[in-house]
Amino acid sequence: MLIDDNIIDLKINSKIIQISKLFDEIIQCQSAEEAISYFTIHSKELDKLPNLILLDIQMPEMDGFEFLDSYKLLPDEWRTRCQVVMLSSTLDFGDIRKAEANPYVLKLLKKPLIPTELAAVFRANFTITA
Amino acid sequence: MTRSPVKVLYIDDEENNLLAFKASFRRQYEIYTANSAAEGLKVLENLQVEVIIADQKMPLTTGVEFFKSISDTYPDPVRILLTGYTDISALADAINHGDIYRYITKPWNDLELHNSIKNAHDAYRAKIDLRNKVKELEKTNDELNRFIYSISHELRAPLVSVIGIVNLVKMEGLYHSSGEYWELIESCSNKLDYYIQKTLQYYKNNKNLSDRSDINFKKLVDEIIDLYSYTDRDTQFNLNINQPHPFIGDAFRLEVILGNLISNAIKYQKDTEVHKIVDINIDVNLYSAEISITDNGLGILNEHLEKIFTQFFKTKNNKGSGLGLFIVKEALNKINGKISVKSSLNQGTTFKITIPNAN
Repeated sequence: MLIDDNIIDLKINSKIIQISKLFDEIIQCQSAEEAISYFTIHSKELDKLPNLILLDIQMPEMDGFEFLDSYKLLPDEWRTRCQVVMLSSTLDFGDIRKAEANPYVLKLLKKPLIPTELAAVFRANFTITA
Repeated sequence: MTRSPVKVLYIDDEENNLLAFKASFRRQYEIYTANSAAEGLKVLENLQVEVIIADQKMPLTTGVEFFKSISDTYPDPVRILLTGYTDISALADAINHGDIYRYITKPWNDLELHNSIKNAHDAYRAKIDLRNKVKELEKTNDELNRFIYSISHELRAPLVSVIGIVNLVKMEGLYHSSGEYWELIESCSNKLDYYIQKTLQYYKNNKNLSDRSDINFKKLVDEIIDLYSYTDRDTQFNLNINQPHPFIGDAFRLEVILGNLISNAIKYQKDTEVHKIVDINIDVNLYSAEISITDNGLGILNEHLEKIFTQFFKTKNNKGSGLGLFIVKEALNKINGKISVKSSLNQGTTFKITIPNAN
């Protein structure tokens, strides 16, 4: 699942992921709220949950960190099936530290998304599901 | 310019003194009186007094004790202590603990007291003015920080999207489909990104906050090499890092300094050189870290050596921005570091830096 308010980045990144062939399906959300409503709608269907969320930091209304606040309230079972990697072009130290310090964030990837970096995260965390 | 009269609070247990004070000064000041510390406190609770005069010798609470008791709750009013007898220990106590502006003996001389109140009021104004200025500065600084933050995001995000598109073009095998246009777009975008990053480094460095973190040089250098060597896989790095002692320093600035120097060492190699080598030696002792970074690259012309640390200095055939070494120098200035450089053309360059250990 990609969460990004920027439609162009959403397009670029889903294309990159598509070409990388690491994932079968890509869910695009233009806001954190949209992602949350996806979770609410599919709350009974565990197989509809994404294995990985690529989460932008700066977004209007609910930003990436606020999304994580809701994410951490999800049941443990969901969270282990569906992990979070942050994806941002930020150079702000505060954001970088905050992202790295967050226990629910596997890694902070920098934009532009480099396929090899995504593949490295994939290998490190999805050996069984792959 | 008319200003409202100075508000003076006078605390004394002797009614006569209060009356005499009022009689002498009521034309110049707005006077409030109290016959005990407790009464004085009530006045302070109700209005903003600028100068407080207190008698030392009062039953229950002395003048100094009163001043001490309000030093946290009412730090602003300027204090004058009055005392009828010269008591050295009270005087010492007053100076050491009471934050007293003036010490005046009783019976007071009207002119002396008048001047003291006037000076005390000036001191009060200066204090308040300074605080307002600091507040203003903090606000400006805050705005600047937000501005920098928004540059780092708003300006860079679309650029990073462009670089992302170029990456996609490469992945789809279209990179050479339009002559060299994609290559040109990529090189311009990278250059712009580089400028944005350097500008941010410069502004962040300008902020005076310096942090104290525990620095592991081995880890830091490995990360930096990892970050910059992806552009050029054939450079050989010889690391010799000797860190028997902990090093406390500014993590951001060290990263900026080493990052710029190491990326330069990688960037300014000779195209013809087969064995591109960068030697990095770091020795940490209790007082400092001695770092040298040597490459066998292009070298720097003797007449350029003095100018390389100046802003926007570039040479004709150099692909730099003229910011990297300038930022290195600025960052070193902030953490009291030193840098020296030796170079011979076509042989290579050595940068030596010394950074104090804040351990």
